[in-house]
Amino acid sequence: MARRADEEYDYLFKVVLIGDSGVGKSNLLSRFTRNEFCLESKSTIGVEFATRTLQVEGRTVKAQIWDTAGQERYRAITSAYYRGALGALLVYDVTKPTTFENVSRWLKELRDHADSNIVIMLIGNKTDLKHLRAVATEDAQGYAEKEGLSFIETSALEATNVEKSFQTILAEIYRIISKKSLASDEPGPASIKEGKTLVVGGSEENTKKPCCSSS
Amino acid sequence: MAKKRIDDYEPGPVPPPAPLDRFGFVKPELSYSHDDSMKGRSAYEYEREERRVRKWRKMIGVGGSDWTYYVKRKPHVVKRRIRKGIPDCLRGLIWQLISGSRDLLLMNPGVYEQLVIYETSASELDIIRDISRTFPSHVFFRQRHGPGQRSLYNVLKAYSVFDREVGYVQGMGFLAGLLLLYMSEEDAFWLLVALLKGAVHAPMEGLYLVGLPLVQQYLFQFDNLVREYLPKLGEHFTQEMINPSMYASQWFITVFSYSFPFHLALRIWDVFLYEGVKIVFKVGLALLKYCHDDLIKLPFEKLIYALRNFPEDAMNPDTLLPMAYSIKVSKSLEELKQDYEKKNQKPVQSTEFNEKQKQSQERFLLSKRS
Repeated sequence: MARRADEEYDYLFKVVLIGDSGVGKSNLLSRFTRNEFCLESKSTIGVEFATRTLQVEGRTVKAQIWDTAGQERYRAITSAYYRGALGALLVYDVTKPTTFENVSRWLKELRDHADSNIVIMLIGNKTDLKHLRAVATEDAQGYAEKEGLSFIETSALEATNVEKSFQTILAEIYRIISKKSLASDEPGPASIKEGKTLVVGGSEENTKKPCCSSS
Repeated sequence: MAKKRIDDYEPGPVPPPAPLDRFGFVKPELSYSHDDSMKGRSAYEYEREERRVRKWRKMIGVGGSDWTYYVKRKPHVVKRRIRKGIPDCLRGLIWQLISGSRDLLLMNPGVYEQLVIYETSASELDIIRDISRTFPSHVFFRQRHGPGQRSLYNVLKAYSVFDREVGYVQGMGFLAGLLLLYMSEEDAFWLLVALLKGAVHAPMEGLYLVGLPLVQQYLFQFDNLVREYLPKLGEHFTQEMINPSMYASQWFITVFSYSFPFHLALRIWDVFLYEGVKIVFKVGLALLKYCHDDLIKLPFEKLIYALRNFPEDAMNPDTLLPMAYSIKVSKSLEELKQDYEKKNQKPVQSTEFNEKQKQSQERFLLSKRS
C-alpha cells in the first residue's frame, strides 16, 4: 500500500456506517477503502475508522468514514460519532429480515443524535447469498422512498455496487453542500485537517485482494 | 421461523492445517521476523522457566491448597511474581485461584450444567452471530460449530442467563475465548462470573451494563491521565481532536485481548486479575509514553492509525510492562472518578441496583458466597 505525501482535497466529508451487528459494515468499509474482504473478520468493538480520497463530480473528496459496533449496548459510545456527520450509510442484511425491520430504529437514532440535514442511504448488503435472500428489493425500495432515503443493494464479498454506493452518497452530499455554500456565500464544508491519506490501488472490479491479516 | 440452537448445527469441515504460533494462532502469511512468540527457546530459557514453575508450584501447594494462606502471608511476593508473568502451564489454575472462581465453582455444583442445558436466553441468536467472529484465526475456534465454538457458545449463553440484566454484550466473547484456551468450559464460566460479579473482587463489575457507564468513566479518566502524565501529547490530542473512545474502548472492554499480541495480552491478564483495572490504564499510558515522540508529530488520521497499530517493539511485554508498573495512577484515578461522578451528578452504580441484581441471581446460587 503506497502513501502519497501532501495529498490535497477540496472537501472532507464525514460519513458514518450504522446498522445491526453482523450485516457487513466493516467489510463494506474495507472493500471501499482497501479493496479487501475478510471472511474471518472479528466483530467490531467500539468504532473503527478509515478514509479514502476520490473524485466526485470533478472535485477531490476525502471520505472520512467511521464504522460503528452494531450492538445496541454500544450506542452509548457510537452515537457520539453521528455528530458532524454529513452522511450515514444505514446497512441491513438482505438475508436477515430483522436487520431490515430494525432500520426504523436506526433512523430514529439518527434523528435523535445526528444533524437534521444528514444524507442517509439505505444499503441492503450480502446480495451474493442469493438462495438465502429474505428481504425483497421492492420492499426496501418502497421503504426508502417513503422515508426519503436513497437505496442500493450491495455485496461487499463480490465487490458489487460498493463503489457505487459510496460514490452516490458522496455526490449527494456534495450537491447539498455546494448548493448551500452558493446560497450562503460561505466557504464549503469545514476541511478539518490536512492529513495524508492511504491511497487505494486499482479499481475494485479487476483486483480482489485476499483476506486481511489476522491477529 | 423456528429458533435454531447451536446443537442443531453439524460441525463444519475441519479447516486445512496452517502454520501456527506457540499459542495456536494461525501465523499471518507475511510473518514478522521479530515476533518473540515464534522464536525457538534456548536451553537456558527452558531451565529458567522450569525453575519458575517449581517456585510457583511450591507457592500454591497441591492443587492450589496453599494459595490463600500464601497470599495473606506474603501478598507482595505474590504480586512481584505475578508481575513477572505466571508460567504458562500453571496459568489456568492460578487465574482461577486469584479470581476466586474456584470457590464459586465448588459452592455451586450443577449450576453451570443447569444454565447450559435447561435455560433459554434471549441472546442466543446474538451469541451465535458472533461466535465465528471471535478469535477467528485461532485453531481452537476456527472450525465452524466445532468443539471450540460450541464451548464458547455455552459459556456465553450460560452467562447471559446467569446475569440477565447484562445478558450478552459484544466483547465478552474475547474474554470467554481467552479463558477457554486455559481451562474447561465450566471453569471458564465461573471465572467470567468472578470477573463480572465476583465475591473476592470483580475487576469488571458493571462494565457491560446498559449504557456502558463504566467504559465511559474509564475513557474520561484515561483522557485526563494522558493530560496529566504526558501533557505535550495531551495537548497534541486536543489539537487533533483525538479522544480515547477512538482508540482505547477495546482496551477496557476486552482488557487488550481483542487485537494485541497474545503473549502480551496474557501477561496483562496475569496482573489484571490480581491488581484490577489499574493495569489497563498503566499499560495504555506506557504505550503512549513509549511512542510519544512519534505520536506527537502525527496529524489526525495517521495518529488514529498509529494508536491502533503500535509497533512490534512497543508491545514487547518485557519492556512495556516494567514501564507500566512504574507509572502510579491510583490517586489520580480516584480523584478523576469523583470528578466524573460529580460531572454526571450520580454515582456509576447505586447500591439499590446492586441489591436487585444480586437477588435475581440468588436462584442460581445454591449456597451463599462468603
